[in-house]
Amino acid sequence: MELTHGLELFPDCTVTILLFNHVKNAAALRKKAMEGSIEGALINPAMIVDPFQILVAANKAVHLHRIGKMKTRTLNAEIIFSLSPNNNISDAFKKFGISDSDTAVLIVLVVDKEKTVNLGDIVTQVEGQQVSLNELPQLTDTARVKKMYKVTPQEEKLGTLLDSIVCRMSTKDVI
Amino acid sequence: MAAASAGPDGVRSGEAADPAMDETGNANANGAAAAAAAVGEPEAEAPPLPGLQLVHQGAEARVYRGLFLGRAAVAKLRIPKRYRHPALEERLSRRRMAQEARSLLRCRRAGISAPVVYFVDYVTNSIYLEDIVGSITVQDHINSVQRSENDTSSLLTLAEKMGEVLARMHDEDLIHGDLTTSNILLRPPVEKLDLVLIDFGLSFISGLPEDKGVDLYVLEKAFLSTHPDTETLFQALLKSYAATSKKSGPVVKKLDEVRLRGRKRSMVG
Repeated sequence: MELTHGLELFPDCTVTILLFNHVKNAAALRKKAMEGSIEGALINPAMIVDPFQILVAANKAVHLHRIGKMKTRTLNAEIIFSLSPNNNISDAFKKFGISDSDTAVLIVLVVDKEKTVNLGDIVTQVEGQQVSLNELPQLTDTARVKKMYKVTPQEEKLGTLLDSIVCRMSTKDVI
Repeated sequence: MAAASAGPDGVRSGEAADPAMDETGNANANGAAAAAAAVGEPEAEAPPLPGLQLVHQGAEARVYRGLFLGRAAVAKLRIPKRYRHPALEERLSRRRMAQEARSLLRCRRAGISAPVVYFVDYVTNSIYLEDIVGSITVQDHINSVQRSENDTSSLLTLAEKMGEVLARMHDEDLIHGDLTTSNILLRPPVEKLDLVLIDFGLSFISGLPEDKGVDLYVLEKAFLSTHPDTETLFQALLKSYAATSKKSGPVVKKLDEVRLRGRKRSMVG
């Protein structure tokens, strides 16, 4: 159901992505996330086109965390920030984090090998249905994504939307 | 050099040492030592990612291939130049990497085919890029077509396409800095002539016809010296460049001027 992938550059780290639909308690979840009482980063699936996008963000976040150069205060916040094409942190949370009216939620967990993650724990906290990540494309708001990442029409002919997104995510600190 | 060409698809048979490799991906003695020993460096370190294979070792960086977050990727690790002052070395490396990343993004935004940047690591000075699986360099392609004496008119179309792509790049005021036929890839299937520009480590932004002219001059020199009897090909490339680029007039003029100067790029010092 959920997707788990290891980070090649950080062999002791794995990333797990869970997707939930028909979520009723987005507001409560958001509050928990802000307090830090829920494990994982809560992301708006409408802005995600592919799990790879999340993996790239998680990879960058873990890297910066390891070298002590995060721009935000927590690893989870950094994952959300890494998704953004610009360097405005609050904007990143607004656009990529979840809002009270959301009905779909994506949760990303980064775990070290020693720590066992209790997925069931997280699933119970969400008042919604956990669905497979194959359903992600249905939840993506492509138009909104294109606008957010400012994808040019010439670029669309070049490759996938995911390509454009990942490129911007990884080069945003130099441009 | 033969070893380099015999490698996996898409290997750039470029300059410097042989990428002779053993299982762990460490460059072995006769090969890359030529480059490293000259600098008095310790031998190649293990690849940053398990399962990464050393594909090429140039003067600037080691290129590895492997999987990154489940995707075929190329990792370029800059080789530290120990003869430089460390502060200078750090700044230069960082600048070159930033330039490369910026140029790759600029290409994409303008609709010019270039690898997607997956991750830039300023600590180890490495950049992880999309691997164009199954690609071959234009250099290898031209060589194989010439060797098999096949329909060389297809090479004319290739040259025209190259001219087009370079014109679009220069119209974005992007100077590649190291234009050679081994820095342009052909995405499979080769007949589609889908070109991908790579290796923007020496690139910079400039609107000056001089810089664009020199960029073309570098390509011309590399082209004519690597591929014998290709004067007509390069002319076709230039013609297509002139037709595609809106600002080509002054550029071609400068190119003629630069040619007259000879091999050295004087002036800049």
